[in-house]
Amino acid sequence: MLALAPDVPSQRAAQKLASPGSWPLTGARAGADASAAVAADAGGGTGPPAALWGECRGSAAVPYRTAIDLSGPAWQCSCPSRKFPCKHALALLLLWADGAVAAGSDPPAWAATWLAARAAKASRAARNPDAGAGDPEAARTGPANPEAALRRAAQREQRVASGVAELDRWLCDQVRQGLASSQQAGYRHWDDIAARMVDAQAPGLAERLRALAAVPYSGAGWDGRLLAEYALLCLLTIAYRRQAQLPPPLRDTVRSRIGFTVRQADVLAGGQPVKDRWSVLARRDLEQERLRSRRVWLRGRESGRYALVLSFAPAGMSLDDSLTVGSCVDAELVFYPVAVPLRALVGTRHGEAPQGPPPGGTVAELLAGWAAALAADPWLDSWPAVLTGTPARAPRPCLYDAAGHALPLHPGAGPCWPLFAVSGGTPLTVAGEWTPRGLWPLTAWDDGGRAVPL
Amino acid sequence: MSTWQDLVTASLIGTERAEVPATRIPGWPAAEALGPDGRAGHPASQDGLSGQDGLSWDPAALLLDQAALLTVARRAGRTADEAEPLAAAGPDPRPVASPAAGERLARILRGDHPDLLAEWLRAAAARGLRAPAQVLPALLDRCRRAGPADSGLRRLVAEAGGARARWLAGLNPDWKWLADLSPDQATGAADAGTGEEPGQRTTGARQPGDAWQPGDAWRLGDIGQRRGYLAALRAGDPGAARDLIAASWAAASASERVMFLRVLADAPSLVPDQPGLMPEDERLLEAALDDRAEDVHGWAGYLLATLPGSALGQRMAARALRSVAVRAGTQGSYLVVRPPAGYDPALRRDGISPGAAAGRTSLAEPTRLVLEIVARTPLRTWADAFKMAPSAIVALGSGTWAPVLFTGWSRAAIAQRDQEWMAGLINEAVSGRPPGTSSENEALSQLARRADPALGGPGGVPGPEPGVPAAVRNAITVLRFRYDMLKELDDDHSDG
Repeated sequence: MLALAPDVPSQRAAQKLASPGSWPLTGARAGADASAAVAADAGGGTGPPAALWGECRGSAAVPYRTAIDLSGPAWQCSCPSRKFPCKHALALLLLWADGAVAAGSDPPAWAATWLAARAAKASRAARNPDAGAGDPEAARTGPANPEAALRRAAQREQRVASGVAELDRWLCDQVRQGLASSQQAGYRHWDDIAARMVDAQAPGLAERLRALAAVPYSGAGWDGRLLAEYALLCLLTIAYRRQAQLPPPLRDTVRSRIGFTVRQADVLAGGQPVKDRWSVLARRDLEQERLRSRRVWLRGRESGRYALVLSFAPAGMSLDDSLTVGSCVDAELVFYPVAVPLRALVGTRHGEAPQGPPPGGTVAELLAGWAAALAADPWLDSWPAVLTGTPARAPRPCLYDAAGHALPLHPGAGPCWPLFAVSGGTPLTVAGEWTPRGLWPLTAWDDGGRAVPL
Repeated sequence: MSTWQDLVTASLIGTERAEVPATRIPGWPAAEALGPDGRAGHPASQDGLSGQDGLSWDPAALLLDQAALLTVARRAGRTADEAEPLAAAGPDPRPVASPAAGERLARILRGDHPDLLAEWLRAAAARGLRAPAQVLPALLDRCRRAGPADSGLRRLVAEAGGARARWLAGLNPDWKWLADLSPDQATGAADAGTGEEPGQRTTGARQPGDAWQPGDAWRLGDIGQRRGYLAALRAGDPGAARDLIAASWAAASASERVMFLRVLADAPSLVPDQPGLMPEDERLLEAALDDRAEDVHGWAGYLLATLPGSALGQRMAARALRSVAVRAGTQGSYLVVRPPAGYDPALRRDGISPGAAAGRTSLAEPTRLVLEIVARTPLRTWADAFKMAPSAIVALGSGTWAPVLFTGWSRAAIAQRDQEWMAGLINEAVSGRPPGTSSENEALSQLARRADPALGGPGGVPGPEPGVPAAVRNAITVLRFRYDMLKELDDDHSDG
């Protein structure tokens, strides 16, 4: 580590500074390879390089802000030193090497800006927008060797194409032999084909296939649900083969669902920021194998636009807590460029305030929005819902609006007793996810106007 | 949509054996009209299986194609269902506990200091607050697990949950117990402050045919129902309950006689720190000391020791002062202990006998005798005899007897609800001689749950020093938790 120092006095100064007491704020971000598969499943991709940042108390009134891109490595510090790297960057590296920098958080805005700018520069140098974090080799050597990166991208395209062809045959085989035996098939049946999709560098397909193993045990109607999922996968393979003929947003949708990831930096660099006061509607945490993911639903107070912010953490680590359900965040969001832009990154944040319930809609409005979204992205399997309604138990657990229109509650959400308790049989505002199986309620606003996570 | 069901059926059988049904999707050309162009590049056609007409396609691919179209069409064309609305819950005019208090209640229910649940509920009831609605399902579940034996907790939950809890319990058979509580049990004495109409108390709970006439529960009910009747009577008219017990004593079984005594000891309301026993109960309890049943006479002895000014207390005080004395030494005063010679009939009558607690302790007999006597001795005995404050008495050296005296005093302080002694004992454990035996640890743990929670606030006990025993650290944690808990509930009170 100290070999990076420009001279011996820098080494000594850095060692002196490398104590947690001098650093009121530090953070680290791991590379995003592990999260790529889930990110792709959720309709986009992340590829942030590993990075460190921190604020160091120095002689000045304002702390020095130091950020390090570990993929370079490259550094940036607000101190006036002309040494490169400066003692702050070295000290931060030493702290990190000692394990004194906690990972798993998002960088503060000042560090994020610099890291994003670096990543954007790197990807421009690569002149290859498809070389994402899912292809670590390309990420490492891409900037230095654009031709090699292009070659690798072409190779991957070939692998995915043959994987897609194999999946197509597999799907037809299932339907040819009949789905009736699926209940006896066991997890291996889907894990095997999923593993082949991983080999074919199509992690999005693999994720979808793995999720199917639970469908035969999901209760009455499982056969219809399994056929629907097979059919939509088949549709995805057809769309992939015909991607050249698709309009760009739909093509991006198809590619992201197959598992091609887009760098966060490219999203930030390419997208138009949408400024609004965003109500934080609801939050849902999922845990898969060794990865935790968090979905946070937002809605613009002025634009009425929905947004989905994803974050990831290894199992056992805490997830991003920066968006509090029930609050309103004044911020600029940048949306992933897909046919139904929901997934977004939080850019600049200007402020945050607590806030009462968001305006609730009707069932008819929700279903109309859902239909329009499906027309643009038929693979969409959840859609944000904000309803003013009353829960009922019969004929099955549901939520109905003032017009008497009811939507069933998702069986996987359980009996939803807290929703009933907060309602007491009277209308309230509910936010959640609408899915083909029903409404998954996530937040309710009580009669005091407070957000209650369900 | 039967078209969809036809597709599902065909896919279950498999296209090897089943025909692919003809599919009509509204607003879409018929399947035959799609032609091979609809699946340009499909391997089935590349493999040369496909002719120029759609009929020679791979039927499996055709089925998947149609299923995809129908799936999306069905999802996008989804229409609303109908619902059968529920009757709304009755109003509850009480203010709700604040988010911080509600979040702490949720934490308790998730297993953080679960034994403090009753204290949260009692404190909320004393402040006229209701529990936040979203916590009610977990509260009701907690009581279901607690079982009917814990009717005290059920009463507290019914009180904290109010009208909303009764409405919710009507929706789930698992929570039927709430409706099964009699109105008096369900609402308790503190209900006077809720301003509810009596008619709302059992909304949707009780079938008309189930209703007991007054007195039926006592004459015809099982022991739980008799207990409910007696507790309600005791809350409203303590003297009448005492008379009823006296009149029913001879005919009652031993377990019912124990139940009678426990009802007498139960707090009359949900408000804490009000003892249920009153001086008028002493005659009944004193008579029960002669009861043949070990349990009955043990309970009577235990309860009399908690009753201020009881004759049993005086007898214990005399025994205690014969065994424990203060001496002046070169390095300050200290205590000397001389255990009594053994059990005598009077001691046995007062509830201390070799069998009574033999299963509970492995202490040597002389040690256990001293412990039992100290635990039943009125605490002011010591202050009066030694002319010292409790905090000074607990700090006196007593050699190997120290753990016995600490445990005995702790039990007495809890039974007699003596805050000064509890504070003195906790401070001694935290800053003086740390507890060493398991019975001392247990005593300290109980003290931390019963003592004035102000001890956990600023100016209370000092923070845990590094290296203190876990029992001391835990006691401080419990006191802090209780202090914060009550402060959150008080904050609400002033806001609401």
